[in-house]
Amino acid sequence: MIRAAALACVLAAVPLWAAAHQMIVFASVDCEAVTVEAKFSNGNAVQQADVRVLDGANVLLTTVPIETDGTATVLLDSVDHSTGLVIEVDTGTHDNYWIVTPEDIAKNCQS
Amino acid sequence: MKRFLATASIAGLIAATPAFAHYGMIIPNDPMISQEDGRSVSLTMSFSHPFEMDGMMLDTPVSFSVTHEGATTDLLGGLQSETVMDDQGYTLEYPLDRPGTYIFAMEPQPYWEPAEDAFIIHYTKTYVTAYGDDEGWDSELGLKTEIVPLTKPFGLWEHNVFQGIVKMDGAPVPYAEVEVEFFNDGAGATVPDDLMITQTIKADADGVFTYAPPSNGWWGFAALNTADYTLPQDGEDKDVELGAVIWVHFEEWTGQ
Repeated sequence: MIRAAALACVLAAVPLWAAAHQMIVFASVDCEAVTVEAKFSNGNAVQQADVRVLDGANVLLTTVPIETDGTATVLLDSVDHSTGLVIEVDTGTHDNYWIVTPEDIAKNCQS
Repeated sequence: MKRFLATASIAGLIAATPAFAHYGMIIPNDPMISQEDGRSVSLTMSFSHPFEMDGMMLDTPVSFSVTHEGATTDLLGGLQSETVMDDQGYTLEYPLDRPGTYIFAMEPQPYWEPAEDAFIIHYTKTYVTAYGDDEGWDSELGLKTEIVPLTKPFGLWEHNVFQGIVKMDGAPVPYAEVEVEFFNDGAGATVPDDLMITQTIKADADGVFTYAPPSNGWWGFAALNTADYTLPQDGEDKDVELGAVIWVHFEEWTGQ
């Protein structure tokens, strides 16, 4: 229930244009960092893209570079993640997002 | 009076005749889990006549596993006993930690069916995709008998065709018989004749079969073959029916 509420809150802030276009974005989290992974549906890593990190109110917090293997790292200490994070990956022709909820962070930090 | 007795006699005969197909079932709450759906999938396992919603006893399976990115994990210990279609079944809540296709597979204990004078073992599986990543949708598990999908086994519109290869011990089964049945859960589907509860098709010489369902919902495909071994029952050796079962969900077409 808490997760659903948190997810709904964060989702409300996600812009409608952030629809999937055969680019897959995923992010995992531990106590120190969010690891972002971006690839195309054919399995190829996204090698050039803007990675934007927004909070639950859709405020841009920071941008991070994407590596040639399609990953990016967001240090938790560098952002206010109390309302969750929205990770947007935008290549200019493809964009997608992953939502990191406060519960995702809490759960994975405990394990 | 004589007519009544004749009718009652025929009705009794029909009631005693198990004319309907048995199906192992693994049904997820959703075959395509997005991040908005949460971080897990809910699975319900049963053994049933799915069109009639008639459950049968599903004893603790021999195995229950998930395969993701080439790695297979034993989940048998996580099954929760549950009444499904008024009989013994199981449920499982499984966390989806990463994107990709998760293939859930079950080998049940041999089910003795006296009406067929044979045992039934249905190797059952279903495919679930997580977070928009369909990688692994065509994976073969290497089960004793298995339907390997040629069509992505999720994300299908109603009326799309579904194709698969029937395999036994890793080899295609030419002209294998495949039974197809609808999971009539809340759909209220009826049939003009009992023959239409289970539809039967055959694979081609390469073991490939094709079917297009008339509606959205869960459809079960069961390729049935007789095992090359027997099992004892009441001091006699009995045949074993091996079923390769796959459950596929077809989505309702949303256009006009």
